[in-house]
Amino acid sequence: MSDVVLQAAGRAASRSRWKILLRRSANWLIYGVLGLGALLMVAPFLWMFTTSLRPMREAFSLPPRWLPGLDATVESYQRLLSSTVPMGKFFLNSLTISATVTLGYVATTTIAGYAFARLRFPFKNAIFAILLLSMMVPLQTTVVPLFLLMRWLGLVDTQWAITLPGLTGAFAPGMSGVFGIFLMRQFFLTLPTDLFEASRIDGAGQFRTFWSVALPLAKAQIAALSVIIFTVTWNDYFMPLIFLNSIDKMTLPVGIMSLREPVGNSSAMSEVIAAVALSVLPVLVAFLVAQRWIVDSFIRAGVKG
Amino acid sequence: MSDTKARRWFAPQNRSETIAGLLFILPALVGFLVFVAGPMVATVVLSLTKYDLLSPPKFIGLANFQRLWGDQRLWKIFGNTGLFALFAVLGNVGLGIVLAVLLNRRMPAPLKYVYRAAYFFPSLVGLVFVAVIWQFLFQKDIGIINFYLGQLGVGPVGWLSNPNVALVSVIILDVWKNVGFAMLIAMAGLQNISSDYYDAAKVDGASAFSMFWRITIPLLSPTILFLLTMNTIGAFKVFESIVVLTNGGPGDATRSLVMYIYEQGFKSLNMGYASAISLLLLAVIVVITALQFFLSRRWAFYE
Repeated sequence: MSDVVLQAAGRAASRSRWKILLRRSANWLIYGVLGLGALLMVAPFLWMFTTSLRPMREAFSLPPRWLPGLDATVESYQRLLSSTVPMGKFFLNSLTISATVTLGYVATTTIAGYAFARLRFPFKNAIFAILLLSMMVPLQTTVVPLFLLMRWLGLVDTQWAITLPGLTGAFAPGMSGVFGIFLMRQFFLTLPTDLFEASRIDGAGQFRTFWSVALPLAKAQIAALSVIIFTVTWNDYFMPLIFLNSIDKMTLPVGIMSLREPVGNSSAMSEVIAAVALSVLPVLVAFLVAQRWIVDSFIRAGVKG
Repeated sequence: MSDTKARRWFAPQNRSETIAGLLFILPALVGFLVFVAGPMVATVVLSLTKYDLLSPPKFIGLANFQRLWGDQRLWKIFGNTGLFALFAVLGNVGLGIVLAVLLNRRMPAPLKYVYRAAYFFPSLVGLVFVAVIWQFLFQKDIGIINFYLGQLGVGPVGWLSNPNVALVSVIILDVWKNVGFAMLIAMAGLQNISSDYYDAAKVDGASAFSMFWRITIPLLSPTILFLLTMNTIGAFKVFESIVVLTNGGPGDATRSLVMYIYEQGFKSLNMGYASAISLLLLAVIVVITALQFFLSRRWAFYE
């Protein structure tokens, strides 16, 4: 009797040992496949940085190199920065435009989001519904009249053509203004009503309540929104393409496009690679420093937005 | 607004709140009216005119839409955009969900951290920047993709020069760039599925495969629907990746709707016709959004 039980237990144990082994090897297989995919994701960046550091003469010769060798040199960067292309200017323009748009967009959409969440005023729901509907309208469908408007205002080929819609919270490049309003509204709706009641009983005015009760609590959400708006503006190509003409007004994406030549000229190609590397580097550094925070920002906005 | 209602909004006990509310939304509202609503109305008006910036706009009724209907190039371009959208969306959302499910398993924390970072990073980088890199990778003679394919004995592929392949290249770039974002959102959606369901299924002896189809997918359906809609709308706006990789070519093989709007509006200065094409794009987006709205009521499963 006990013999039979022992045998059965032994069989069960060896079977579960097999199962564990099987599950472990399946796990390692999955890690391996995921790792291979991850490698594919980073490979283009790796190739770019390595190629930008190769001697210009043979930068594109095959087989490709994946890591800089002993002959690594910064000559493509030197060539690029000493050429007539105002890379520094592109960089500065990208920075000021992105910062201005982010500041204005976040300020106007935060305060509007607060009003839609917390205050009662006439036509509130109707206005909000219209705004939500307008979220469907992409910039690409209104760009022709927008261009005519900016031309009429005399703002074509100035940064204002890009920053003004952002400053008023109408839209950031590639991101409807309603996105920010909706995101902030959803956040302010989660705060307990008592907080605002208490502030009102203390005799604080409406703006005061917003400023000293609601705003401090919204810091993380505001930061998340700022990260996203800064990123989309920094990366945008469409608005500067439409509205900026002179080379010294351009941002990095349009600037780099203007410096491209037909593929074949090896030194020109090296300069382009160096320019792209310089544009990607700040994003990479920011990501490595604040990965968790940036990823959380996108999750916050993506899930709720 | 009736007189009594107005009186109530501005009664002493409500006045400060009413005024604050209106003031708080004022900047955004003005911005919206000037830079979104105004141009939207103007697009409709312009679509009924012939306007080349030089002479004043001329009202021509529905002629632009008739031209739209008979424009062979437009339908070719519309087809390209639809085909691109179909495969880019399937690739991004499908692969994104698979990656999310695989990454959501128990695994060593540093590994998870590194993998998530690697897959997500391309979504942060500007499309123009990565498209320039990929343009080099896709080159027929000096591109490293063809180099490695050649080592496997596969002849040089005209990734950007072969009209039958060029659109595939654009899709590859898009999925490489955006799959990480879909993965991230799907991972966040998976976090919200209670492990009770899986525990119960395990007790019943369900396989991993059937748990994926019968628990994960239904409970993730709101997230999936959200991803499908976002990605489809985004895909119909495809522009800069194509400008960089092929500039629409060879011929019109990879030209997209937004490229055509840009070409008609800002190169040929057919502002009226460009507006009509814009409305076509808008109609597509409205239909997709409406579809999503109705599907979310019928199909998506909310706990």
